Amino acid sequence: MSGKSGFWAIVKRESSRMYSRPLYGLSMVFAPLFCFIFFTTLMKEGLPESLPAGVVDEDNTAVSRSIIRNLDSYQQTEIVRQYSNFAEAREAMQRNEIYGFFYIPRGTQDKASSQEQPKISIYTNATYLIPSSLLYRDMKTMAVMASAAVGREVLTARGANMDQAMGFLQPIKMDMHALGNPWLNYNVYLSNTMLPAVLVLMVLMVTCFSIHSELKDGTAGKWMEMAGDNVLKAVSAKLFPQTVVFSFMALVYIVILYGYLGFPANNGLWPMLLAAQLLILASQGFAVFIASAIPSLRWSLSLCTLWGVLSIPISGFSFPVMGMPEALQALSYLFPLRYYFLIYVDQALNGIPMVYSAWFYTALVAFLILPLVDISLLRKAAHEYTYLP
Amino acid sequence: MWIKDMLDVCGKELRKTVSDVGVLVFFIVVPLLYPLLYAYLYGREVVHEVPVVAVDDCRSTTSREFLRKSDATPDLRIISYCSDMEEARNLLHRHKAYGVIYIPSDLDRTLQEGRQATINLYCDMSGLLYYKAMLSGCTMVSLEMNRDIQMVRLSGMSDREKEVMTMPIENEYVTMFNPTNGFQGFLIPAVLILVLQQTLVLGVAMMAGTEEERRRRGELVLGHEYDNPITVLGGKALAYLLVYGLTATYVLCVVPWLFHMPQLWKLPTLVTFVIPFLLASIFFAISISFFVRDRESCFLLFVFVSVPLIFMSGISWPTSNMPAFWRVFAQIFPSTQGVNGFARINTTGALLQDVRYELIALWIQTAAYFMISLFIYERLYRSDKMPGIEFVLAMRARARRNVRNVRVAVRDIRSDIEEAAERMRGRRKK
Repeated sequence: MSGKSGFWAIVKRESSRMYSRPLYGLSMVFAPLFCFIFFTTLMKEGLPESLPAGVVDEDNTAVSRSIIRNLDSYQQTEIVRQYSNFAEAREAMQRNEIYGFFYIPRGTQDKASSQEQPKISIYTNATYLIPSSLLYRDMKTMAVMASAAVGREVLTARGANMDQAMGFLQPIKMDMHALGNPWLNYNVYLSNTMLPAVLVLMVLMVTCFSIHSELKDGTAGKWMEMAGDNVLKAVSAKLFPQTVVFSFMALVYIVILYGYLGFPANNGLWPMLLAAQLLILASQGFAVFIASAIPSLRWSLSLCTLWGVLSIPISGFSFPVMGMPEALQALSYLFPLRYYFLIYVDQALNGIPMVYSAWFYTALVAFLILPLVDISLLRKAAHEYTYLP
Repeated sequence: MWIKDMLDVCGKELRKTVSDVGVLVFFIVVPLLYPLLYAYLYGREVVHEVPVVAVDDCRSTTSREFLRKSDATPDLRIISYCSDMEEARNLLHRHKAYGVIYIPSDLDRTLQEGRQATINLYCDMSGLLYYKAMLSGCTMVSLEMNRDIQMVRLSGMSDREKEVMTMPIENEYVTMFNPTNGFQGFLIPAVLILVLQQTLVLGVAMMAGTEEERRRRGELVLGHEYDNPITVLGGKALAYLLVYGLTATYVLCVVPWLFHMPQLWKLPTLVTFVIPFLLASIFFAISISFFVRDRESCFLLFVFVSVPLIFMSGISWPTSNMPAFWRVFAQIFPSTQGVNGFARINTTGALLQDVRYELIALWIQTAAYFMISLFIYERLYRSDKMPGIEFVLAMRARARRNVRNVRVAVRDIRSDIEEAAERMRGRRKK
């Protein structure tokens, strides 16, 4: 039997297997595509605007009204209602009508003008972390500004000019530069990892499922025979059509993120295309490794699923790896997505020379050759396997 | 007697559940362990001691004080003092540090002239928590130092006068309900609810897949001995409800307790809310389980859904800022109401009237999914076929037909164009 015809014969056989079951289309094309569209459209605002907030104004004076008016003019805060007391505002927060409120107690203006140092309070519902932090930022600025406004009045009344007044009220100012994502865009921050994460999950599951269903359906013997009992050839030929489809899906998300949405890709598209391609191959490699090591469809599929789902938090894009317990920090090295995330930070976000990411690319390649360790077990299983539900 | 039949079905379903390791993994093992893993993962709530580097071009007492105090905050740790930005950047690139504090050379002079001085912070944006840590750490230090500078300048006044002068209106910040303002308190309630719904879906779908496999082999699996499909459906739902009563108690009450998370619920509120959530999830699971053809395909079809579902709940990206389409779409899933209701009952101590909307929505979902599963089940009952698959195959056939029609139409249009072009060319020749 000639090598080439064997390979392509298996490719053809696998393609028609994939085509004949809606399951493959749903999980390889529909599922990732749905998530691509979902995440990028969900956060299309980038940074949430007009977050609903409330005010409890017990003072009801010129000062308190100006605070409210100014607060409302911030892009991220929208005062939706005024509440007559604290309890009412808290209940509105429990009903999820507002994410936070500003409390101005009675006598604020009087105390301020008689230099008695009144206190205004900011309350946010930290159960919803993102809107809570954003509202806090606006409200805090507003509180400081209100204070500064009063202070400025006092100072200018004593004859200081504006420059001197600011130099007195805030001698040292912080100037924050967010490298690579100056807009603090959440879509950039989340979609850049969520999209490949979903794809990795699907690659891990589909790879493992398709290999083990040969064993389950009792077609594995035929499959091995077509490859001349060469398990490496059998597996690579079988996975080739899937690689093509998944690589195309990776191309789709790259085009969506860096082409259509124009997210920062500071070193151009090639480093990311390479990373995405290696990510697909690394995930396939990892799945083959698991599928060979565990001779049970359900258990190996469970492990692949766990790995795919867990790679989202453990890649460290939302909660940094350095903040996790040490055991999990060590575990994070075993997830292909972790390396992809590090490459993305270097190559797309920060645009630094590729040498800095060389190790991460290498690690992805290592996942690809990982199955060489145990793939012979799969050959054995193909000949002797019995399906257990 | 329909009650006897229902209990009969319930008993059989329970026996089937217990004897199927795969289903037990979903119903018991995953809910038992998975939340622990997540709680462990986010156990430290916030990041402390983010490594940063300092570039001090001023080298004065003030600049050194600023850096020393920044290093002393719980948020930051200065790992190196670099001579220039180039060196600092190199450390950033090698992931040794996540931010740079740059103090310009004119800091002291500007302060002495009584003008406003600027300190520049550069932050790696691979995680927003680095940004948060850096901003809050340095702001804290600058506020403290500003106050000291002002005190020195106002040396003629009394302490009280100084205080009033520097901060005419004070402010305070209270993060309600999640006192550490951390990840665990915000994400775990959502994860817990999602674990309940998704394991139910996976377990029920796995059983349905197994039945379908047996049906294909010609074994009779439906409860034909019962006359009424409602009793079969009700019996199954009762069985799942019994199992998930236990699972939910553990997931929603024991897990948060184990990790010392806020638990402000009152028992009647929690129970009244969780029962419709479980019922809605159960009938939702039964409804979509009809699309499953074999035991293991539930993994491929339903696991990935968890990822968008957690975002649809609005726990991360705020609901008020979602496009209308997704806001409406999210309403079909019990988890959306479940997460919002549970997070507020558990973490903010909301009462039933505060989660009225979620509660009503869950009962509507229960009714709707019950009707859907009844409808599909009835057809299944009569025809012994898989209506879900029939539907998918019919849709695919229709799509293929459409593609063919489009192809024909394109061919027609193309030949029309070619004809027209031909005519144009002929006319030009003339």
